[in-house]
Amino acid sequence: MPQQIKRLISAFAIVILLFLVMQQVLKPSSFGVSGHYRFLAIQENKLKELQYAGSESCIKCHEDIHIEKSDGYHAQLKCEVCHGPALRHVMYADKFENEELPDSLKLNKPDERKDCAVCHRINAARIKITFDTIDNSMIKQVDPMKHNLVHKKTKVELKCIECHYPHQP
Amino acid sequence: MSLSSSTMKQHKSNISRRDFFKAGTFIVGGIAVTSVFTPFNGILFASEAPKGKGKWYGIGIDISKCIGCGKCANACKLENNVPQEPFYFRSWVEQYTIKNDGSILVESPNGGIDGFMQSVPDEEIFKSFFVPKMCNHCAKSPCVQVCPVGATFETDDGIVLVDETYCIGCRYCVQACPYGCRYIHPEKGTVDKCSLCIHRLEKGLQPACFEICPTEARILGDLNDPDSNINSFLKNHTCMVVKPHLNTGSKLFYNALSPEVR
Repeated sequence: MPQQIKRLISAFAIVILLFLVMQQVLKPSSFGVSGHYRFLAIQENKLKELQYAGSESCIKCHEDIHIEKSDGYHAQLKCEVCHGPALRHVMYADKFENEELPDSLKLNKPDERKDCAVCHRINAARIKITFDTIDNSMIKQVDPMKHNLVHKKTKVELKCIECHYPHQP
Repeated sequence: MSLSSSTMKQHKSNISRRDFFKAGTFIVGGIAVTSVFTPFNGILFASEAPKGKGKWYGIGIDISKCIGCGKCANACKLENNVPQEPFYFRSWVEQYTIKNDGSILVESPNGGIDGFMQSVPDEEIFKSFFVPKMCNHCAKSPCVQVCPVGATFETDDGIVLVDETYCIGCRYCVQACPYGCRYIHPEKGTVDKCSLCIHRLEKGLQPACFEICPTEARILGDLNDPDSNINSFLKNHTCMVVKPHLNTGSKLFYNALSPEVR
């Protein structure tokens, strides 16, 4: 074998050996367990903190509202749709059953016109949508800047919830 | 010059027709045989979407039920600490308006979180509808294929995830995703995308956007289970994926999807 080929082979062998050693040192142990990725990354993704509690946990304490809501137009709306993420609220209530909830953990009660308008503002894309759960009724739509903006007699500005109780609209 | 051309001639005449066919058959046959095995299954990969071994998540979205409240986009941001700026989204809603003159208008003010204002008067509208968008959790994800460091991957149950500690923020996947479902997190400097709320699935809860949808327009289930809710959704509706020609193996199936949706 010519001299230069021998040298080349030895040079390649050294590089490959170095690569294998470095791969052993640098590669995380879970890499390649189930594909070209670090398997432990799945566990790390699963460890993230939750915010939304899920409707089941609301019913535990607020069953009265659940019953009240159950035959209205908002029956299939879960509590957190309007009141926001509730996990910390639920966890505190679970832990200190008889204590008053601190203000920071109280959930918001959206009562502005714009809060209702998110779903009920008149829109061409919304007009045909029907719900088979509530006898094929269409979603009620209004122009929030026109629909009974002020009281007819007193001329005081009205909020939606003054006429439509959100749990039984 | 004369020497090299003569040696080439010499070399050429050394291969008989028989040898050529022998070698050719060996090479082509070898490629065909090895391509059957998993590390070389390029042909199979392109022709057929993988189906997973155990659980294989599929998503159904019913466009005919979406009222465009944007609660899903809001819930996703709150659940996953997505920056509140109006250009970072894991999940968002678009309003498509097709006008009488055939032009298409796509709007998504703040991802739909603050609600939609109809910007085209009724008499100019041919049709209008809302399209909730999110990661398609493709079985043949272009974003996974381009990642140079193995920081994004498909899990065995069909969820496309990001390994934040491995991501180098090269943005390759951001431009590779045909659905625009990835962004670079401004604080972390790494890519961020829908994880199908794997941290919620783990605890037996629905992902935030599925949990919150007031009209139950979103369905999540196991495509490998014939009795799952996603399979009955696919059975009872005429479903389609977005950009099927890209062969991404998308597992987000839309009911009532218009061809205008991109």
